[in-house]
Amino acid sequence: MSASLLGRRLSPLLACIGLLCIWQVAALVLNTDSFPTALEAIRTIPSILGDHEALLNILDSLRRMVIGLVLAALVSIPLGLMMGRVRAVASFFNPLLMVVYPVPKAALMPVIMLWLGVGDVSKTLVIFLGVSIPIIYHSFQGAKAVEEKMLWSGAAMGLSAPQRMFRIVLPAALPEILTGCRTGLVLALITMVTSEMIARQNGAGNILFNALDMAQYETVFAMIIIIGAMGIILDAAFEKLRGRLVRWSEPDFDIPLSFS
Amino acid sequence: MSVVPLRSGVQTEPSSGHAQPVAMIEIDRVSQMFETSGRRSHLALSDISLTIEDGAFVSILGPSGCGKSTLLYIVGGFVTPTAGIAKVKGKAITGPGPDRGPVFQEFALFPWKNVLGNVMYGLRQQGVKRAEAEAQSRRLIEMVGLKGYESFYPKELSGGMKQRVAIARTLAYHPEVLLMDEPFGALDAHTRTRLQNDLLNIWERDRKTVLFVTHSVDEAVFLSDKVVVMTRSPGRIKQIVDIDLPRPRRRADLLLDPHYQKYVVDIEKLIDDVLEDELHP
Repeated sequence: MSASLLGRRLSPLLACIGLLCIWQVAALVLNTDSFPTALEAIRTIPSILGDHEALLNILDSLRRMVIGLVLAALVSIPLGLMMGRVRAVASFFNPLLMVVYPVPKAALMPVIMLWLGVGDVSKTLVIFLGVSIPIIYHSFQGAKAVEEKMLWSGAAMGLSAPQRMFRIVLPAALPEILTGCRTGLVLALITMVTSEMIARQNGAGNILFNALDMAQYETVFAMIIIIGAMGIILDAAFEKLRGRLVRWSEPDFDIPLSFS
Repeated sequence: MSVVPLRSGVQTEPSSGHAQPVAMIEIDRVSQMFETSGRRSHLALSDISLTIEDGAFVSILGPSGCGKSTLLYIVGGFVTPTAGIAKVKGKAITGPGPDRGPVFQEFALFPWKNVLGNVMYGLRQQGVKRAEAEAQSRRLIEMVGLKGYESFYPKELSGGMKQRVAIARTLAYHPEVLLMDEPFGALDAHTRTRLQNDLLNIWERDRKTVLFVTHSVDEAVFLSDKVVVMTRSPGRIKQIVDIDLPRPRRRADLLLDPHYQKYVVDIEKLIDDVLEDELHP
């Protein structure tokens, strides 16, 4: 392993350690109950992950997040691609999306709870709504940017319009679609926690806010670390998958946001 | 201008071997109007009639904006003319089809497929079995001089190599007509010359009908049996020039050939006239 590669691998780790050090010092200087030191928070993590109940809660959260994200991708990708290729579809959906875009999706949670209860359905729906728009938008951009001549080449080979959509527009737009999905993944995590903050029944967010209510600040900060770590791990895993799927389009460098 | 024979109507193709020339493409009083911004319409092509015989190499030459590419897109079935009709083998063109294979200046390769995948694409689409498609594609890749690059992706290739892949990809599904839209326009002079020579070598083998759009007089004269010189705004056919030079042609030999030089000079003058007409209609 060359020195530069080693540096690239180690630097995210160093960044995390640096952040924890600043936290540690700041907590020691401030010295209040509601801001435990980094070490105290880290020491609490094993007790949370060792607790059967807490672990099930976290897995529940993850399950809702994955279902919400996958359903959103299944709906948003075809919609975005259609919008990118068919002008009428774009002019129909664009204003609707513009209206929905600035609404914080978690703010819909109380209303959705009235209709669908506090269970999985409401939370999954909010995650679905939260991640749809970036995926639609990126799919739309990706499909719009597909070279006309590439589609013509396909048409000359005898590909029908639906075949061109599946076999030319979809793969050609895939790098852009996956960029949208990566944004969606992070948003899914955020919406997941927020939804559980509002519908307090179970989940990672529930543990966090229950601990806050009971002034168990070590647990609060331990949960923040756990959620952050989940984000990093999921993002890194997604990046690996993305890298494999769209290797053909990779630029020569990538922003090393993840540990992959 | 006297050396340049004026062409009116159909004439026998010396190389076709048929007693009666077979019309591969017939363009009959085709006009194309485009809506521009500001609700003005722009007449890109005006009343174009042209017959291209089977096995002929025909270039369309003209200044940019004369609608020469539009004419090619109409034959490809990618653009529907506002008026008139275009036919291939006597049948009206209603859309793209594998009998007419395009090669674009922009290459338009599928970037997610490697060289082999790109060349195989059309064959697989035609229902050819994978093993057979692969064998044929490998032969074509070798023919265009890219043996050893089968597993390279388009972004790893130079412009000239990309265009070789694009030509192989189109030849693979055996179109009867090659539609080439300034295919060498984006390449450097050296690469362009090599590809012109290679294209002619490939063409000599099976003598497909070629419709070749270019703005280079040399290129048109060197490659073609017939050069269609167009004017701009609206796009009209100024003159059709027969290029009566022996084949096979090598560029290095032709450059000193007085007949070749005469054709180039005469067509240059024709184009000067075209520009003159535009300035002083």
